[in-house]
Amino acid sequence: MTGAGVLLGAAIGIALLLWVANLIRHDRLYIGYGVIFVVGTLAATIVLIVPSLLDAVTRGSVALLPVASLSIVPLALFTFLMVYVFAQITILANRVTRLTQELAIRNARQESDVEARAAEPR
Amino acid sequence: MDIQPTRRGRSLVAIPAYNEAATIRAVVDRVRRALPECDVLVVNDGSRDRTPDVLAGSGVLLATHLCNLGYGRAIQTAVLYATRCGYEQLITLDADGQHDPAQIRPLVAEFDRGEWDILIGSRYVERKRYDGVPAGRRLGMKLFSGLVGMTAGRRIYDTTSGLKIIGRRTFAALTDWHFIDFHAEALVYLMRLGFRIGEFPITIEERRHGQSMYSTLSHVKYPLKTVLMLVLGMVQAGVTRRKAS
Repeated sequence: MTGAGVLLGAAIGIALLLWVANLIRHDRLYIGYGVIFVVGTLAATIVLIVPSLLDAVTRGSVALLPVASLSIVPLALFTFLMVYVFAQITILANRVTRLTQELAIRNARQESDVEARAAEPR
Repeated sequence: MDIQPTRRGRSLVAIPAYNEAATIRAVVDRVRRALPECDVLVVNDGSRDRTPDVLAGSGVLLATHLCNLGYGRAIQTAVLYATRCGYEQLITLDADGQHDPAQIRPLVAEFDRGEWDILIGSRYVERKRYDGVPAGRRLGMKLFSGLVGMTAGRRIYDTTSGLKIIGRRTFAALTDWHFIDFHAEALVYLMRLGFRIGEFPITIEERRHGQSMYSTLSHVKYPLKTVLMLVLGMVQAGVTRRKAS
């Protein structure tokens, strides 16, 4: 891989890391999904930056599965798409969570009110 | 949304429970005997066993999650309930019977001295060692205790204790942001916001029923998730402080 290619790959990796971290911080990406993206992106970025690792991975991947270097572009796009999809799932899940919590609190409060009324002197 | 009067007192004891039918009734009865002046709220976190049935007639408040949301969300439900009902203190303890409710009163007495915003019932603070803890867990306890010390300026020896007293002043901070299990990541966030968190020595009993909420896979995921949330919590606390000033 050329120097420019390594720089581009590292830049994409850092952008993805920052995006994922920001989504998690704003509770728009579940930490369990986020940690997979963070670990995967960190590993890929380290492989790109360390020449001996990159050589080893390239030799291994070419031997097992020969692919064009252009396949990195759809892979990066797919990863960004996956983050987006999981963020949407998280947003939906958070709405369900909030609804579930509100129902639980409302039921407990009604129970409390009924008991308080029953305890009042007639 | 606030409702003013509490039924009995200013403290709410919250017990998150997931499939704890074997122990929850005994825990509730012991809590009510030990702390008759406190209200007791069981957060049934989508249990699939008879947990809600065994609580019938026990006199506790029951907040039922229709599906399992996890420990952190169950605690958050309890904090939201305590906020809206005007409680001054929220006391959390585990539903598996490991905590002796008789140990809560000295904890409350220490909390009432006013030095802490959160007081943790700690298994390790007295000896400052993790004797008798399995090796993997001991490594995790040391790692997170050390991380809290490094990032928040004060070492907490028992970051995973379920027995805590949480003062009203911290309720908003606990519901404004999100946490995993209210462990190291929450402690660092709160301490960096300026809340005072302390530990008070307790002992625990061996778990006799049920199983730990941590599966084999979660022993790998938990440290990664907690470290990431801890770092993001530091960022968030910085942002919150800047906004406030």
